[in-house]
Amino acid sequence: MASTAGYLARRAAQKERVRLLYRRALKDTLNWAVHRHLFYQDASDLRDKFEANRHVDNLDVVDRLIDDAEAQYRNFQHPDPYIVPWAPGGTKFTRNPPPPQGIEIIYNYGKEDQ
Amino acid sequence: MAAAALRPAILRRIRLSPSPSLALAAAGTGASHPHALGRWLARPMSSHDAHLTRDEVIDRILDVIKSHPKIDPSKVTPEAHFEKDLGLDSLDTVEVVMAIEEEFKLEIPDMEADKIDSLPLAIEYVANHPMAG
Repeated sequence: MASTAGYLARRAAQKERVRLLYRRALKDTLNWAVHRHLFYQDASDLRDKFEANRHVDNLDVVDRLIDDAEAQYRNFQHPDPYIVPWAPGGTKFTRNPPPPQGIEIIYNYGKEDQ
Repeated sequence: MAAAALRPAILRRIRLSPSPSLALAAAGTGASHPHALGRWLARPMSSHDAHLTRDEVIDRILDVIKSHPKIDPSKVTPEAHFEKDLGLDSLDTVEVVMAIEEEFKLEIPDMEADKIDSLPLAIEYVANHPMAG
């Protein structure tokens, strides 16, 4: 019973790691490829790499495969990934932020010193 | 001190008066193209001023889902679950969520994207996102 629960928990953790790894790798595939016709082929190749290990059942082997894939992904990361403009790191992030409370703009139009 | 004293006089001299030719040009433009200026000004801001309605979100998400190669379009309903109803596996779900992100120009954090496993959750996330465009 304990071994079954432990098995299921470990299995779920492994599946989550694989999903997250695939997601990040797919995003970086798009960052490297940029063009759609290149991205489709690269994404298909990436999916084939994951599918090749679909039926591996040994938990230790799966852990080793995930560790190895994550190491490959670290080498594959893009140095300048695409960031949507409004997100942190994007070109629009904090552009034209509202002025802080208590600060007031006075429009005297050149009469300040008269 | 002397410069400060001179400042009002300098400002008074270089202050520009509106040009009559400019006013005439603006009037002409307005007469020939009604609402042209308003339309031009609205365009750069339209992606964020007009927030998406729920129906619009549902339609666009359904279009994204139906165009996925591994999905049978006849099975796509707004209540469908990606794995149970549409027959996708977990990696296919990752691809679908990424396609939804690209459609609405979003960046969903990884842990939140991992939780989206059905159409109602995807619709809820996009409809409630202030920056979905």
